Amino acid sequence: MKNIKLIFLSLLVIFVTNSCDEALDINTDPLVATSADPNAVLPFVIVGYSNRYVTELGTRIMDVSQHFSACFNSPRNGTTTSFLTGNTWRMYYTQVLGNLALVEADAAAAGAGNNNINAIAKIFKAKSYFELACIWDRIPFTEAIDGAAFPSPNFDDQEVVFNGVLDILDEAIALIDAIPAGGSVDVSTGDLIYEGNMDNWRRWANSLKLRVLMLIRNKDASVDGEITKVLSEPLIENNSQAAMLRYFDTPAESNAFNRLVEAFFGVSNEVQGVYAPGPVLYDMLEGDPRKDLWIFDPNAVGAPNVSTFAFQGDYATIANNVIRNDIPHIMFLPSEIDFYRAELALLGVTTEDAQAAFNTGMNNILTFWGNDIPGAQVTLDPADIEAFIAGMPAVSIDQIHEQLYLESFLRPLVSWNTIRRTGTPTLPLPPTTGISTVLKRFTYPPNEAAANVNTPANLPTDTKVWFEN
Amino acid sequence: MLALFVLSSTWAQRTLTGTVTDEDGIALIGATILAKGTTSGTLTDDTGVYSLTVPSDVKILIFSYTGFTTQEIEVGTSNVMDVTLSQGLQLNEVVVTALGIEKESGSLGYSIDQLNAEEFTRARETNIVNSLQGKVTGVNVSNTSGNLGGSAKITIRGLTSLSGRNDPLWVVDGMPINNGQFVSSNSGSRITGNRDFGNGAQVVNPDDIETMSILKGAAATALYGSRAAAGAIIITTKKGESNDRGTAKVTVNSSIRWDNLFLVPDYQQDYAQGASAKYDSSSVGYDWGPRLVGQNVNSLPITGESGPLEAIEDNGVKDFFSTGMSFINNIAISDGNEKMDYRLSMSSLNQEGVLPGSELDRYSISLNAGVNHSERLKSRFGVQIIKTDSKGTGAAGANDPNVIGLGSFSSTTDPNNFDPWIDELGNQINQFDPGANNPLWIRNENKNNRDDTRILANMSLTYSPIDRLNITGKVGYDFGQDNRFLTNRKGTIQRLTGDFTVDEINSIQLNSDIIATYNFDLNEDFSVNILGGFNYNNRQRKIEGLRSNSLLVAELFAPGNAAQNVGVRDFQEQVLFGLYTSVDLSYKNYLTLTITGRNDWSSTLPLDNNSYFYPSVSTAFVFTDAFDLPGEVLSYGKLRASYAQVGNDTGPYQLDFNFLPVSTAFGQYSLNIDFPFDSRLAFGKSNTIPPNDLRPEKQSSFEVGTELKFFDYRFGVDFTYFKSENKDQILALPVPQSTGFSSFRTNVGQVNTSGIEISLEATPILTRNFKWNTLVNFSSADTKVVELAEGVDRVLIASAFNSVQVVAVEGGTFELLAIPFLRDSATNRPIINPVDGTRLAGEAKTMGSVLPDFNMGFVNSFKFGDFNLSFTIDWRKGGVMKSSTVENLQGSGLVKETLVNREGTFIDTEGVLQNADGTFRDNDVPVANAEAFWNGLSQNSIAESSIFGADFVKLREIAVFYSLPKSVLSNFGNGFLSELMIGVEGRNLALLYSKVPHIDPENSLFGSGADGFGIERSSVPSTRTIGVNLKAVF
Repeated sequence: MKNIKLIFLSLLVIFVTNSCDEALDINTDPLVATSADPNAVLPFVIVGYSNRYVTELGTRIMDVSQHFSACFNSPRNGTTTSFLTGNTWRMYYTQVLGNLALVEADAAAAGAGNNNINAIAKIFKAKSYFELACIWDRIPFTEAIDGAAFPSPNFDDQEVVFNGVLDILDEAIALIDAIPAGGSVDVSTGDLIYEGNMDNWRRWANSLKLRVLMLIRNKDASVDGEITKVLSEPLIENNSQAAMLRYFDTPAESNAFNRLVEAFFGVSNEVQGVYAPGPVLYDMLEGDPRKDLWIFDPNAVGAPNVSTFAFQGDYATIANNVIRNDIPHIMFLPSEIDFYRAELALLGVTTEDAQAAFNTGMNNILTFWGNDIPGAQVTLDPADIEAFIAGMPAVSIDQIHEQLYLESFLRPLVSWNTIRRTGTPTLPLPPTTGISTVLKRFTYPPNEAAANVNTPANLPTDTKVWFEN
Repeated sequence: MLALFVLSSTWAQRTLTGTVTDEDGIALIGATILAKGTTSGTLTDDTGVYSLTVPSDVKILIFSYTGFTTQEIEVGTSNVMDVTLSQGLQLNEVVVTALGIEKESGSLGYSIDQLNAEEFTRARETNIVNSLQGKVTGVNVSNTSGNLGGSAKITIRGLTSLSGRNDPLWVVDGMPINNGQFVSSNSGSRITGNRDFGNGAQVVNPDDIETMSILKGAAATALYGSRAAAGAIIITTKKGESNDRGTAKVTVNSSIRWDNLFLVPDYQQDYAQGASAKYDSSSVGYDWGPRLVGQNVNSLPITGESGPLEAIEDNGVKDFFSTGMSFINNIAISDGNEKMDYRLSMSSLNQEGVLPGSELDRYSISLNAGVNHSERLKSRFGVQIIKTDSKGTGAAGANDPNVIGLGSFSSTTDPNNFDPWIDELGNQINQFDPGANNPLWIRNENKNNRDDTRILANMSLTYSPIDRLNITGKVGYDFGQDNRFLTNRKGTIQRLTGDFTVDEINSIQLNSDIIATYNFDLNEDFSVNILGGFNYNNRQRKIEGLRSNSLLVAELFAPGNAAQNVGVRDFQEQVLFGLYTSVDLSYKNYLTLTITGRNDWSSTLPLDNNSYFYPSVSTAFVFTDAFDLPGEVLSYGKLRASYAQVGNDTGPYQLDFNFLPVSTAFGQYSLNIDFPFDSRLAFGKSNTIPPNDLRPEKQSSFEVGTELKFFDYRFGVDFTYFKSENKDQILALPVPQSTGFSSFRTNVGQVNTSGIEISLEATPILTRNFKWNTLVNFSSADTKVVELAEGVDRVLIASAFNSVQVVAVEGGTFELLAIPFLRDSATNRPIINPVDGTRLAGEAKTMGSVLPDFNMGFVNSFKFGDFNLSFTIDWRKGGVMKSSTVENLQGSGLVKETLVNREGTFIDTEGVLQNADGTFRDNDVPVANAEAFWNGLSQNSIAESSIFGADFVKLREIAVFYSLPKSVLSNFGNGFLSELMIGVEGRNLALLYSKVPHIDPENSLFGSGADGFGIERSSVPSTRTIGVNLKAVF
């Protein structure tokens, strides 16, 4: 009996010690993958970007360019919090650029058949760096996303970034041009913007180039040649080519503007009175067909002052036609190109017909909001559009700049760029601002500053970015 | 059971009685009498008299009393044995050490605190962690909220880990158990509507605890290996014993308790709800309305009726937070003799909380049994089955409609009017605003349910093939199935379409040890104890869940009734093997040297570098015995010293670079999007760069101490100094996000802790009818972040809202990071916004340590005849906390300090204005009104005005008990009742001192599962508990 027990115990020890190595080799997570299909990574990048963009920049800084009168936790008074800056920075660098670098590397390794994926990754990368530089001025660019070589990336001037962005877009266009006939992989699942239509991606790449060049031109007119060149390339010319991410009237797939209203207040912005138009926007829309599409003001009480929410009085609100679940995240519209064309023609950079370009832009933007935008609740009659355009005064620079400001509605970064580039319209300062102008830049997120010794000292948030005059 | 009962009554027995006194003839109350070689034993009563029924073959009785020399006396023919004990020549208290090994305290080279059964059954805490408050040195305990079943966090000797591994290891009857606290997947966050569902160890039933040992230093925990790097708490449950008459002992312990709000904010009652001095019936929780002068309004809050606007006492919170009730019942039956012992215990805890709709029911069954099969073979088996059902757990934090804090009430809103909250059609009614939820709807219609089943089982077999050699095999199993169900009923504002979350969390731990011990005497003076062992530990956690939203039919929580369902699945497993040894060398029983070594192999480390060895050495020297010193003044003196190294592994699955299938695209304000989005799946890379060559963490610690007893043991001092260095921490080190990653997992950094622990124990008065015992505990632990990594000044530990974070600061400690006022650097006065006279925001900075400088506990007990009175006072000194509840109460004009300068403009005279030339002058810009001033204090995420010193002094516990004298009890039916005690008990009774206004300074947002010390936001208010208790032993 005793011996049996001893033998049993000894055997147990031997058994257990022998199987140690095998038993310890269990440190592989069964619920993750070691590689990923770009058709699965791109949705993570695009939707992750969009939801963070709409919830941070959309719901928080729409009152910087004063499309909205007030936003929650807004930096309009000159203070950018670590949440706003940190979340936005992290989204761009770790979520978007970090993943796109892997997509790009895989696509490059796979050869020309993956040019379309490579080009999409590059164009979204270029767009992201451009937006980062617009927000922070100097950002890590040439040394970014390469921790092995540059564990503490240096920051590049906005000018360097803008020029680099143009180069990336050129590379992307060259890749699209080199797509083998009939031999590219299917990226229609991952490409939530154009469903694999590379012709549209080429147009968007060229259109982004024009957007960047217009900002560079503000400082350096020597790019006029490049501008003329890109104007001859395929651009986003009609609303069917608009760059957008569609949202849906289904739970957890809807645009965050309305989700914020429903999550914290109740059904519908018109009833809850969360978002109101800024007073300048409200006044500029007087007589404009877009007023009824964008603003709900049955009693014609007008917009609140900047920094005041609609619910703090009985003010006009942004209409439910805008603050709705299925409003798309608009990234680029043809009207922006048209207005640039008009502006460049008036300035003599090109010989195009400024009035015609302006009218095309007006038609494109009014038709977009009055008809082409997915899920429009209120529509415009094309005849009314035509009549309104016909009744507008002859084109002028101010008018183009005003229309660029209106054209960028619901796109906080584009409108912020517009007011910083053109100075139009003149915006009142928020009553309790701590800075001398409207917000010009964000401060760097504390997390980057704490981990990266090369982070520059923060400048006051009313310091102009490079492209401003 | 009946059979056993009968069986146990039928052995041949005799009853021995007598009196135990000291040398002066004074009765010793509570002296222990044990029948040697059996588990039969008893205590003397208040007259020093005992009565013990023992098997007739018992030869020796052992008499012991703290501070007195233990005597073994042969049983003669007489059944009366009066004994006189002399005051102690040695102090041979037995304590439970690592691996459950019992040792004489005199032989320990490190500090251990041990609490005995009565500490847990007197003023029973429903979470045993809280029972430790103030009673032992070296620990910091904080209960986090007034939630039923809420967690309590315990840390031992400061914080040593930057990666959150600061929880001690919990061991019950040799089996490590899970003390984790997980966040539900509905938010994935501890700050967004956090439901504190409690820490894992709280299920241990206080009535079952025989002893709890707190192993503080690395030398004490060395045999447990890396898992006890932050200390260990060793619970031994009660074993079976017979009663005085040698038959089955039945114990009944019942309490009824009442809970109410521990603190009610100093609500102002002079001004109505509203803004800009205008009344607004919908402005509940925002009292910047007009002065209350008996005016009539057209629309009273909630009812909408016209009538006089009147203040409601305490804003009605005492009506809203009703009186909670708890019933705690335990019945235990036990028996034992030299052959076997068993104890069966059944407990129920039935609670209704102060938060409407909150309730908790916990039922525990435990069995602890052992059989001595022969002189060479023994076996034990223990199991505890604990079932907890809770409903209506409160949500804390923000961005969740279920959060109800003390700022949700107004001076002029009677919360009684919220009832009823639902109409016949299921619509929400009696809201104060159509866009706001009726809080009773939130509390009664939205479910916050948890159903938790826990099984803690262990068995052991000890075989002695030869004399002095014991081989023990132990297997333990900890099974936890934690099912959570959270809903927002359709019609809940902010969740109008309704949603539900299911989380089923399964945690399993399997632990086995094989331990061999051998002891022998080298000669008369030297004895040796050798131990060798092998440990296998496997931990698994599996989470499966469902997040569903947009319901068609209200109150139907089926996936098919939801427009969107997102499944949740997570799994992790880790394995640890350990080999360990310990050698005790003892010289003449007063000098002991203990050397231990352990090698662990962990599955979480790289296969080629997964082995790590750590040694410890400790020594104890009872110099009063060595030099034969005991005298009038110094009765006992011991010195101890130890040094130990401990390695530590990391969590599972941290070595590889992965793409993770993603189900959520996160957004600000928890405005998240689910994947698949537009039918597309999403994969994203991990944001942590995997390590290259990870090494185990390394902790070295050193401890010296002394234990001195004076004046015949009437006064004692225990002093410890400790110091530990924690290097090579495995940490996800933040890297610049511009590299495309957030962190890099690597070995980095060093955290040092040091501190002293002093325990003073005295019996200032000891007479026949009166005894006063007093214990003062002092613990300090200085946590210093010596080094992080090159270019890294601080590491994020926990992040809350509005830039408020807990960070580890190089050269500093664990500190609160938050946005202060912008200040003039010369005078440190706040700089005022020239536009509106409010204060400007500065850049986020650290605002002080979140850890206490020291904790003190004052425990006093008095015995007057048959009455016992005891109370405990806690003092925490140092550390800061940020309270968003206070910020809200002040910013919303709800509390009395906001009455100052309430009407009209005034100048913030503390501030300065910046002149054009950069110089400063006294502020001369008035602020519009008090509303603008108080709101200005938190604008742009300024946190400074709501950061307070977290110091407090609390009257933690009082218990008054009356024990019926034996003489009375013996008159009841043949003395079948051997003990009857009735008492009044109270916990968390009074806040004697605090720097934090309006709320309990112990409240915290993060719960026990994170190191988010010092951050509070809309916590469920904590409670004061008073109750009565009846204990009877048959």
